[in-house]
Amino acid sequence: MNPILIIAARTWKNAFQNRATLALTLILGLALCLATYIGWQNFSAQNAQRLKYKEIVREQWLAKPDKHPHRMAHYGYLAFRNKHELSFFDFGIESFAGVSIFLEAHKQNTVNFSEAGFSNGMLRFGEMSVAMVLQLLVPLLIFFMGYSSISAERETGTLKILLCQGISWRQLMAGKTLGIIALSFSLFIPVILLTIVLWAALSNWQVSADATLRLLLLILGYAMYFVICSGIAVLVSAFHQTSKAALTTLLVLWVFFMIVMPRITQAVGASVYPAPSKIEFGAAIESDLQKQGDSHNPDDPHYAKFKADILKKYKVDDVKKLPFNYGGTVMAEGERISAEIYNRHQKELIGTFGKQNSFAVAASYFNPFLAIKNLSMALTAADFKTYTDFQDQAEAYRYELAQHMNQLQIDHISNEKPGEKDKPLSISRSNWASQPDFNYQFKTIGWVIDQQLMTILSLLCWFILVITGIAVSSKWVKTL
Amino acid sequence: MGKNLIDYIMNNSTYQLEFKIFFRNKAVWSGILILLISGFAGLYFGKTFIEKQEAVIGKANALQQEKTQHNIDLHSEDLGLLLFYNKFSIANMPSPWAAFANGQRDINPYLMSVSILGLEGQMYDTDLNNPTTLLLGNMDLAFVIIFLFPLVIIAFSYNIVSAEQESGIWGLVKSQSGLPLSIILRKFSIRLITVFATLLILMAAAVVYLQLAVDRHFMMVLMVVSFYLLFWFALSFWVVSRNKSSSFNAVSLIACWVVLNIIGPAVLNVWLTKKYPIPEAMETVIHQREGNHEKWDKEKHVTMDKFFEHYPQFKKYPFPSELTFSWYWYYAMQQMGDDEAAESAGHMMKKLEERQGFSSISALLFPGIQTQLGLNELAGSDLQSHLNFLKALKAYHEKLRLSFYPVIFTNGTAKDIDWKKIKAEHHVNAVESGKVVLNLFVVAIFSLLLAMAGFYNFRKKLHTF
Repeated sequence: MNPILIIAARTWKNAFQNRATLALTLILGLALCLATYIGWQNFSAQNAQRLKYKEIVREQWLAKPDKHPHRMAHYGYLAFRNKHELSFFDFGIESFAGVSIFLEAHKQNTVNFSEAGFSNGMLRFGEMSVAMVLQLLVPLLIFFMGYSSISAERETGTLKILLCQGISWRQLMAGKTLGIIALSFSLFIPVILLTIVLWAALSNWQVSADATLRLLLLILGYAMYFVICSGIAVLVSAFHQTSKAALTTLLVLWVFFMIVMPRITQAVGASVYPAPSKIEFGAAIESDLQKQGDSHNPDDPHYAKFKADILKKYKVDDVKKLPFNYGGTVMAEGERISAEIYNRHQKELIGTFGKQNSFAVAASYFNPFLAIKNLSMALTAADFKTYTDFQDQAEAYRYELAQHMNQLQIDHISNEKPGEKDKPLSISRSNWASQPDFNYQFKTIGWVIDQQLMTILSLLCWFILVITGIAVSSKWVKTL
Repeated sequence: MGKNLIDYIMNNSTYQLEFKIFFRNKAVWSGILILLISGFAGLYFGKTFIEKQEAVIGKANALQQEKTQHNIDLHSEDLGLLLFYNKFSIANMPSPWAAFANGQRDINPYLMSVSILGLEGQMYDTDLNNPTTLLLGNMDLAFVIIFLFPLVIIAFSYNIVSAEQESGIWGLVKSQSGLPLSIILRKFSIRLITVFATLLILMAAAVVYLQLAVDRHFMMVLMVVSFYLLFWFALSFWVVSRNKSSSFNAVSLIACWVVLNIIGPAVLNVWLTKKYPIPEAMETVIHQREGNHEKWDKEKHVTMDKFFEHYPQFKKYPFPSELTFSWYWYYAMQQMGDDEAAESAGHMMKKLEERQGFSSISALLFPGIQTQLGLNELAGSDLQSHLNFLKALKAYHEKLRLSFYPVIFTNGTAKDIDWKKIKAEHHVNAVESGKVVLNLFVVAIFSLLLAMAGFYNFRKKLHTF
């Protein structure tokens, strides 16, 4: 039998003879099952709530009586950000991002009511999810199991004996690592299987190909992450004279990588690329609007020219003689200009946020935890990019709604303004159904991979680095 | 007793020797250095964060005046339209301590700009935030104290007895000293003094750098923090007293830290979300929107009857019911949005209170959460201070409405308003410290129980080592 496998099997068996390890593994296994259940409960309760209000919003929209289309544009629409079916696995930024957005003519609103806004600060300590257990706690378990893998052999003197018996350093390292990996997988594999079955069962066995692919990649990513953690544990153990020192180093690494470094990188990112405050953002948009044309300003040169051009085109001397509603045309132009300016600024803002986040992406080349964290959030559609995609889709819908109402006004509302005591102009309520419901479409896995190339690459780098480290470490480690 | 202790320390050469041995360890210096460096970084990032908010608040008034002037220029004859566009700002002023514990100030908006239209449709608007930054959280001094200090305490004390046992000198130490417990206490006190000295350096730096007053408030913060650190010492003392190996102690202490500061709160959070969902938030939005907009399709008197019921004082201004549109009607309809959302908004606030109650009670079991909530409360950066800010916003909005309504209802113009008087306002939070005292009491009880259990263990076992 291959000596690597013998060592691996021995490591595996030894670890489970230790009752503390067994207890910890069982506790983590239970925690994972609990997290899966809680995650699913959370997902289905929140989504059901959002779906319920989404239906109410649609019903109310369709039930509106005959009225002026511009009233409907101001009545607007409420859009809810639905959760991805895999978000039960990783909560990501879910709790820190808003849930509902009011979409109306001329005005871009914020996405409101995040869970964090309802929290008094406890949320800052984290949320129990499968991802949290796998990212934070399983590595801790791996470190607990692996810290003494080589150093204990050295302390007891068995290391010399092993090497004398013809086992090479490389075989020893590989065997120990494999044993630790097997240990972590003996926890990971049943839990993942359970998660998949539970997920499929709770989705009534109706799972999409895209979600399945996402989940498979997720499993692959976590498997690599555990290999990396196991490798680090064995390497650290090999380079320390005593198990105690190895344990201290591993614990320091754990705290630094998982607790301290993510905060620091993000804080640095946010201070290197400061984002504008809301009032500055609003003021910049307004100033651009005034430069390019303000439809609310009666003396605005852009709209004076706009009017002159239209009159010339239709060869009339008064807007009242136009064959369509002039007010609607002006509003459509105003909406076009203001949306364009807003989108430009919004894109810039998202770009700034993206630059802030790029620090954490770059840091994942130094910190495998950040790599798996970013990848996991992206694959479960609970990340920043999916959130901004929601904002984009909501804004696109808002624009279409406003322009659709403007078009209805242009086509169906008389150019003759009613007197101030006359009945207001209106169109039939049958028109409202022509405005489709808002449905957020999640991006496909291809887009996610495209967006996360740097993160995926960093995880691969870590994987290769650790494997190489195991293979070549014998050159530097001392036997005694 | 304090004086006696100091005399004892100064005159006791064993003590000095013990200090020397302790500081000869490189790990001790790195532990202190880590705390100091991350503490200073926390102070820097915490202050930068609050300074940015202060800078924005500083600009708010000028910006409001400028925009108002622009609106007056455009709509001087149509006050109703002018006020449809014009916004008025109110800021939630950070207390000097907010830089120490940023709390929820990144999540909740600190500057609200609202028009006199329906408030319920505006008061829940958020700031422009990077959700990833919110997720990872701020790096302030409170973070360093709550997460990193306990780890250093653990690192300093997990092997107090076991290291000497494992290296074989424990027997020698014991034989040369009559009271093994006093040796252990001496070792602990040295670590305690070192950690508290580090804390005091950071607190002193905070006083200077954040320009904090050394007053009752400072003492409260210091007490909260000190009790928290004492709890970790008591926990370490108890674990050490169980007389297990160094590695076992390290693993169990780290496990305690993970349970108390990560797993426990994480489970509580999901439990809280599940136990107190807030569908009232979405209900409020829907009622506000419906309450306002459906009035366009109803007889005017439906709106006006309710409006005059709410504000009988405005009955004296004649309502132009013959006009298809009037700002009088428009603003009354806006009011209906608020009035009809009031019930669900009230429910939402009640839910938030229930949530706060739940988390303060459950936090009693978790000193880390308790300390965080206590510090946020003392720094005026918790949820309660945001809710107080929302109340202030409501009062501000009402004051504006009441001053503008009569002018709008009598078809006044921009000239009839003294615009100079209307300024962006600052809301200053009154800091309460009611809960903090209870928290201190509970942490003290925990620490005392652990310390007593530790003493008991030591007394029972020391002779059998």
